[in-house]
Amino acid sequence: MHIRDRNLIPVWEKIQRGERLTLDDGLRAYTSGDLIGLGAMAGAVQKDKSGDAVYFVLNQKIEPTNVCVLSCKFCDFAVRKGDPRAYEMSVEEILGKLSPEIREVHITGGMPPDWPWDRYLEILKAVHDRLPEADIKAFTAVEIDFFHKKFRMPVAEVLRQLQSVGLRTMPGGGAEVFSERVRRLLFHQKIGAKAWLDIHRTAHRLGIPTNSTLLYGHIETLEERLTHMIRLRELQDETGGFLTFIPLAFQPGETGIKPANRFTSAADDLRTIALSRLMLDNIPHIKAYWVMLTGEVASVALNFGADDMDGTVGGEKIAHDAGALSPMTMAKETIIRLIRDAGKIPVERDAYYNPLHVYHDRVVGKIPYLNSVPFYARLERRGFRILPVVPRRMGILSALGEIDAGLFSLMDYLRQENDMELMGWCIATRDQVKSVMLFSKGGWRELDGSRIGITDDTATSVQLLNVLLEKKYGVHARFERLHQGVNAYDGLGAVLLIGDEALRRNKHGLKGFDLVYDLAREWYEWQKLPFVFAVWAVRRSVPPAVKEELSGLLKQSLESAGGDFVPLAGTHGRRIGLTDAETQEYLSGFNYSLGEREREAIAVFRRLLPAVASGALASSRDMEAR
Amino acid sequence: MTLSAICAKACAGGRLSPAEGLDLLAHAELLELGGTANEIRFRKNPEPRVTFHVDTNPNYTNVCNVDCIFCAFYRHPGEEGAYTHSVDTMIVKFRESAANGVTTILLQGGVNPALPFGYYVELVERTLREVPGVTPHFFSTSEILGMARVAHLTVPDVLRRLWDAGLRTIPGGGAEILSDRVKKKISHLKGSSAEWADVMREAHRIGYKTTATMMYGHLETDEDIITHLDLVRALQDEYHGFTAFIPWSFKPGNTPLEKIIPEYATPVRYLKMIALARIYLDNFPHIQASWFSEGKKTGQIALHFGADDFGGTLQEENVHAAARFVNKTSTGECIAMIHDSGFAAAQRNTVYDILRVYEAPSVAA
Repeated sequence: MHIRDRNLIPVWEKIQRGERLTLDDGLRAYTSGDLIGLGAMAGAVQKDKSGDAVYFVLNQKIEPTNVCVLSCKFCDFAVRKGDPRAYEMSVEEILGKLSPEIREVHITGGMPPDWPWDRYLEILKAVHDRLPEADIKAFTAVEIDFFHKKFRMPVAEVLRQLQSVGLRTMPGGGAEVFSERVRRLLFHQKIGAKAWLDIHRTAHRLGIPTNSTLLYGHIETLEERLTHMIRLRELQDETGGFLTFIPLAFQPGETGIKPANRFTSAADDLRTIALSRLMLDNIPHIKAYWVMLTGEVASVALNFGADDMDGTVGGEKIAHDAGALSPMTMAKETIIRLIRDAGKIPVERDAYYNPLHVYHDRVVGKIPYLNSVPFYARLERRGFRILPVVPRRMGILSALGEIDAGLFSLMDYLRQENDMELMGWCIATRDQVKSVMLFSKGGWRELDGSRIGITDDTATSVQLLNVLLEKKYGVHARFERLHQGVNAYDGLGAVLLIGDEALRRNKHGLKGFDLVYDLAREWYEWQKLPFVFAVWAVRRSVPPAVKEELSGLLKQSLESAGGDFVPLAGTHGRRIGLTDAETQEYLSGFNYSLGEREREAIAVFRRLLPAVASGALASSRDMEAR
Repeated sequence: MTLSAICAKACAGGRLSPAEGLDLLAHAELLELGGTANEIRFRKNPEPRVTFHVDTNPNYTNVCNVDCIFCAFYRHPGEEGAYTHSVDTMIVKFRESAANGVTTILLQGGVNPALPFGYYVELVERTLREVPGVTPHFFSTSEILGMARVAHLTVPDVLRRLWDAGLRTIPGGGAEILSDRVKKKISHLKGSSAEWADVMREAHRIGYKTTATMMYGHLETDEDIITHLDLVRALQDEYHGFTAFIPWSFKPGNTPLEKIIPEYATPVRYLKMIALARIYLDNFPHIQASWFSEGKKTGQIALHFGADDFGGTLQEENVHAAARFVNKTSTGECIAMIHDSGFAAAQRNTVYDILRVYEAPSVAA
C-alpha cells in the first residue's frame, strides 16, 4: 500500500477499523494530491468486496423518443414536439433493435406530452415477450414522477404496473446532484432530491433494485458531491436496494454550462470513483461508465475502486448528443480486453450481478465470509485471479467449468468429485461454528411439518440441517428459499442463516426465534466428529505445476497468519460488528488443514446424505423442491 | 522474493535484476507498480511539478528504404506522395515555429539514400544561424546509420561532423524494441539492437544528450521489454548521456502490421510501461509521459505513475497522423492538463533546464 500523503493515513486507519467516512474525511481525501494513495485505498476496499472481478452486461440502450416536456440546461438530447430532430419509435422499431444475446434492455428517454400510459406498458411487454431471458431496466425516477403526475397514479401503482409487464430494475439517472442550489440553477423543472429518493425507496420496497448516480464536473462543489453520496448511503442503510453507484462525468457539449470543451480531468474522474468506493461502504458495486468517462479512464478506474464496466450499450444517444467522445457501442471483445489488461477478471453478469460467464483462466473462487479470510488475506495473486461468489454460485460456476479452483462448499465438491481434487485444506469445526445457525421458534422435534427458511447462498448447511432433522431427530420439515433483503419470516418455524449474517444475528438475536442451534455443535454431539463445511479443491485438468504454485501460495498465506487472525481479518470482523477478540476466537475455532478426522467426517456425512443409497447425490434443485 | 519485497527493494534505491523486473511486469498489480514508481519519482525529482517543452515534430522527407512493417509514414523513392523538402523550405518552417514560441525542433525523416551528407550538415548549421532561439534535436539513429552509408563515413565521424556543425542533442527514436528477435520481424532492414546502442554510445561519448524510446504493443513479449530496459540501463551506466526515457504504444492504422495487431495497447499497459521504466531505470533522470501518444487523459494519469515530464506540445506531427492517430494541444492546454493533474507546470528546454514555472491554481477539484 503506497500512501505518500500523511493526511490520508487517518482516513485509511478509519477504514481499517471498519468505521464510516464523514464528509470531512471525504474532503480530506478528495483534496489530497496523492492520487495513487487514494486509489490504493479504494482498490483495497474494492478487492474486499469484489476480489478481482469486474462485471459487464450485454445490454442494449433504447431511447424510445427524444421529445421532452422538460428543457434541462445540461441536456442536448431532448427536443420539443414538432422539432425537425424529433423522433418517436414504434414498438416494431424498438423490437428491431434487440438481438438475442442481450441480457439487459435499458429503456429511458424523453417525456413526451401526448403518449398514453398504455404505450409504455406495451413497450415493456413487447420487449419482455421478445426476450424473456433479458432483464428490463427502465425509467429513471424523473420519468416515474412524470407518469405519477400525468396519469394521476400513486408512484407505487406506477411501479407495480410496470413490474407486472416485465420491469426488473431501475436505472439511477435523474439524481444529478442533491443540492437545491444547483437544481435551481441548472434543472429547476426536474424533481429534487426528496422526490428522487422517495421513488427509489418505493421501488426497493416493491422488490425493484435500482442504480444510483451523481452528475459531477459542472458547477457543484466538493461538499455537494459528498453530501449527495451520504444521502444515498443513508437510503441504502434503510432499504439495501441499490445495486450500484455510477458517477457520471458531465459532458460539456453545447449545454452552455461550462466553458466549451472542458471535460472533467482524468484525475478528477479517478478521484470521484475512488471517493465513491470509500464513502459508499454499503453499496455493492461502483460503475465506471465508459460512455461518459471514455474507455481509457474507465479501464484505469478498475484499479481505483470500480468493479463494473457497464456493458456494450448499443446505441447510446443522450451523452453523445452532448459531445461524449467515446464510441457509441463497445464490442464485447474490447470490454474483455480492457478488463483483462487492468489485471481483472471479466465477468458477464445479469441485471442482479449474478455471474454468468467468467472470461479468464486460473480463476480461484472465494467464499465472501469471514472464515475464509485467513486463506485469501495474504494470497499473493501472481498468476491467479480471485472471484468472490456465494457458495451456491461457486458450485454452479465450477460445474460450468468457469473457475479452476477454490474453497468449495462441501456439497459442491462432492457433486464434482470426478472433475475436482482435494488440496489438503478445509474449513472444519472442532465442536461449534457460530456461523451456521438455526434460529427456531421451538425445539427440534417441534419442527416436524413446519416451514424452515433457508438463505439463497447455502448448499452444505442445508444438507447438514436436513441430515440432522431426518436422521438425528426423525422429523420432516419443508424448506423455503429466502431472498436477500427479504425479511418476511412470518409463518416460518425456523430460519437457517450462515456466514456473516449468522455471526451478526448470533450476537444480537433474531426477534421471535428464541432458540438458537449451532449446527456444528449438533453434529459434534451426535457423531463426535468435526464437521467439514468447505474444502479447497482444484480442477483435475489444471497442469500440475499450476496446482503446485497455488498450493504453495495458500500455504504461505495461511502460515503468515501464525494463529494470529486479527491482522488478517480484524477489518472484516469489525465491519460485521465483531470485536477483535471475537474475530480471533471465531477464527481459532476452525481447523484449516484437512486431516484424517476431517476425511472421516466427510465420509460419515456422505453416507447420511439422502441420495447416496441410489448412487447419486441430490442436486440443489432437488433440495429446492422439497 | 515476493512482489512487495521487490517493490520495497526498488523504493529503497536497489537495482532490480532482469528476473525481478519481469516478475513485476508479469504479476504486479497496477497500483503496486504505480505506487512504487511514484515514490521513486519523488525521490529523484522531489518538486511536485511536471516539465514540458514547446516543440514541433516536422519531417524533411518521407522517402525511406527500410520498409518497417509498423510504419504508415514512409514512401519508396518515386512512389506517389513521396516528398523531400529543401533546406530552404525547412528553414522557413522552422522560422514559423520559432515565431510561435517553439524552443525544440525534433526533426526526423525517412532514410532517403538520395540525400547527400552535406544536406544534413547544412540543415544543422543554417538552423543555428538563421533560426535563433530554437534547439535542433535532429536525426534518429537510423538516419545517422544511413548517413554513414551514403557518405562512406564511420558512425563516430558522422556524429563528430554533426557536432562540429552545432548539433548537441539527438532524439531516441528508432529503438522500437531492442530485441533482435522482434526487430527481425518488424524491421529486418533497420539495423540491430547493437547498432542502435552503438550510435547512442558514440553520441554520448562525444557529449551529446539523447533520449531513449521504446515502442511496445506489437510482437514483443514481456521478456523483450525487460531486455530493452536492461540494455538502455547498461548503456546509461557508461556515459549518462540519456536525459529521459519515452515509451509509447504502436499505432497500427494503415500499417502492414495492422492485420495482425488491429488495436493499440490499452491505457493500463501504458501506465505499467511508465511505472516499470521508472522502477527499472534507476539511472535515468526523467521519465516522459505524453498527452499525445495515448490520449490526453491517459497522459495525465501517467503523471502519477512515475513520469515527471509531459513531453512537447508537438505543433506539427505526421508519423502518428499517417496511422490515423491525431491529437492536438496548445501550450495553454498543456499547462492546464498538468495543473488539472495536481502539479505545477514547468516549461523546459531540450536538455531539461527550466525556463519558466506556471504554478498550479490553489484548488483543484
